[in-house]
Amino acid sequence: MSVSEAFAEILWAEKYRPKSLKEIVNQEEIVRRLQRFVEEKNMPHLLFAGPPGTGKTTAALALAHDLYGEDWRRYVLELNASDERGIDVIRTKVKEFARSRVPGIIPFKIILLDEADNMTPDAQQALRRLMEMYVETTRFILVANYPSKIIEPIQSRCAVFRFIPLRREDVISRLKWIANNEKVEYEEEALEVIYELSEGDMRRAINILQAAAALGKVTISTVYKVVGLAHPKEVREMIQLALRGKFIESREKLRKLMIEYGLSGVDVVKQIHREIFSADLKIPEELRVLIADYAGEIQYRLVEGADDEIQLNAFLARLALLGKKFIGA
Amino acid sequence: MSMIRRVPWVIKYRPRRINDVVNQEEAKRKLLAWIKSWPNVKKKAALLWGPPGSGKTSLVEAIAKELKYELIEMNASDFRRASDIERIAITAARRTSIFGARSKIILLDEVDGLQGRADLGGLEAIVKLIEISRHPVIMTANDPWDPKLRPLRNIAEFIEFKKLRESDVVKVLKRICSAENLVCEEDALRFIAQRSEGDLRSAINDLEAIAEGVGKVSLNIAKTILRPRDREHNPFETLRAIFSSKYAWQAKLAASQSQLDYDQLIEWLNENVPYYITDYEELWRAYEALSRASVYRGRIIKSGNWDLLSYVMDLATAGVALSQKVPRYKWARLKFPEKIKRMAETKEVRELREEIAGLIARHIHTSRRLVKSDVLPFLRVIFENNPRYAAKIALGLNMTDKMIQYLAGSKYNEVSKYVKYFSEMTKKTVETKLIQKEPSKKTPKAKKKTKKEPESSLLSYMKK
Repeated sequence: MSVSEAFAEILWAEKYRPKSLKEIVNQEEIVRRLQRFVEEKNMPHLLFAGPPGTGKTTAALALAHDLYGEDWRRYVLELNASDERGIDVIRTKVKEFARSRVPGIIPFKIILLDEADNMTPDAQQALRRLMEMYVETTRFILVANYPSKIIEPIQSRCAVFRFIPLRREDVISRLKWIANNEKVEYEEEALEVIYELSEGDMRRAINILQAAAALGKVTISTVYKVVGLAHPKEVREMIQLALRGKFIESREKLRKLMIEYGLSGVDVVKQIHREIFSADLKIPEELRVLIADYAGEIQYRLVEGADDEIQLNAFLARLALLGKKFIGA
Repeated sequence: MSMIRRVPWVIKYRPRRINDVVNQEEAKRKLLAWIKSWPNVKKKAALLWGPPGSGKTSLVEAIAKELKYELIEMNASDFRRASDIERIAITAARRTSIFGARSKIILLDEVDGLQGRADLGGLEAIVKLIEISRHPVIMTANDPWDPKLRPLRNIAEFIEFKKLRESDVVKVLKRICSAENLVCEEDALRFIAQRSEGDLRSAINDLEAIAEGVGKVSLNIAKTILRPRDREHNPFETLRAIFSSKYAWQAKLAASQSQLDYDQLIEWLNENVPYYITDYEELWRAYEALSRASVYRGRIIKSGNWDLLSYVMDLATAGVALSQKVPRYKWARLKFPEKIKRMAETKEVRELREEIAGLIARHIHTSRRLVKSDVLPFLRVIFENNPRYAAKIALGLNMTDKMIQYLAGSKYNEVSKYVKYFSEMTKKTVETKLIQKEPSKKTPKAKKKTKKEPESSLLSYMKK
């Protein structure tokens, strides 16, 4: 243990990540199957699929830990498909990694490719070739939110593991355990609220807990305060301005969100979507649905590769028009 | 008729065979001889030079098609991105293509488009690329005497393209007229050719603009539509022309006469639409058109299918113009696109944010994207509300001073005080432990010297 421990802190999401498969309390079936790989010291390519924060990366790292021991990092290459600049970069890194020595008892190394469903079908084809080319010395663990976005030839080469959203009691008992460990005071109901707000995403739940604890005792009101602070208030202001027909001012807010907070277009659309159905936004019910419909269209266009600001400006212009019809700006 | 898929004529009537390239016999002969004897040539690369629209790129494309080379094209604007050059360089250095044994031609278009200091590395990268390439590298440029191109003199064969004669241009225009079933007056074609000053590309564009708007090409119409091309229109003129267009072709013509390329034009429109158009319905229709233009732009990037460009232009120009029920001749104060301005100003901040996201992404095994949307907001809450705790995290994650400044904002001084305090404490503790390990020494002095925590008023942040 390092001496500086007391004066340094890391993110709890990492601090309390289970290190070994036996520490993972949920996803029992998956854990059992993974432990078989450890016993046999062999495994096929794996595809871990499921919603965010359900333990996919944790299971992959724990599997590596149990296979290789404390030294596991030397035998694992972590890549993130949405951060690497294209398949060429991935290819180069995989090639380099595959060349280096394999550990003694276990005849292969692991390449952990996160967010694999963000790769284009073409890139996935190239990935498939890589998986075949280096199968002697490496195994791939692909992690994805949406398994249907992974091409068939890859799926058929992998053992597929489906991670299900964590149970309420699992999330809450984990939060309690962390809070006790950190000697944080908390109200039971506050943990319930954290679960609700995080929609079963464990990492998000822990992030909220850590931020709320930094404000003091974890109560319902500190939890709401943290989540409120974390979500820029500009989103609601932007919507309201647009509905009132103040297009240029609302565009200013949009720019602030994208430039100062560094939010991507999709991030902004998602936050808008959350706002539309919040009771704090007082608009006709029918309007909520119409806005949601267009928000969905805009998100789709963004995913197709269109420019962030132009798409959101179209959205704001639409709001101005709808606002005039429904509210009478 | 307008419902039919439209490909710009410059693309539709691109020469498909070497013989289709007009009146450049000498250049053809030289280039063919060079490429056929490659790699047994004195100079590994070739530089085709001559006025715009004289057929440089077309000839290379025709050669590739006819002699079955795989053509790898790169434009001046790409040279700026080291990653792109790298990508091309890797391809160039590989001996055979992944698609069987076809050899390749690497075409670097408009190398004289590299600009000043910003692209300084660009030319170096090209020289390097020529050195390692296992395939012929062909470049194009307008001005061979450009001092920038000096480093290429010794490694590239310079091949001249002559300016096309008026009669050459007319010949091609006639061919297009008959292919398109257009009634074309000879006088009109000559007028277009003369105006083009040997630039076949611009002549074809003009012909298309006239034919599209009116359906026949007469000298009279040509003279009214084609204003003297003494200079290109600046962004303000372009936007005014688009917004006051009554017909689709006027808006399209305005774009073709502009200094702005399509990406810039879209940015300018994105900025200025609301200054021109204030009616809510029209405003939305204008942005919807721009939005669709941008979708097609995205599809081009994803699919590499440049034929879609004409739809980008249709929607960005005519789409925006005709979103108004009645064209306006109103005056509006136009602005330089805020986005372009801010992107430059905030580059440093964006880079810093990427750095922080990268640091944390490695730490918690996830993507920078997820860190930015899901982790940084909460970290900010901690940094702005509990400087003492924030300092511990800053130390635990090894953050730089700048990163702390970014996350803490106005609380930077407080966080940074705690960071200093805690790191001193850490050092002290290490010393103390070392001293304790040696029992011969006296009781540790370090403990007495231990600094007091910064003002307790700071601690009150925790309670907030």
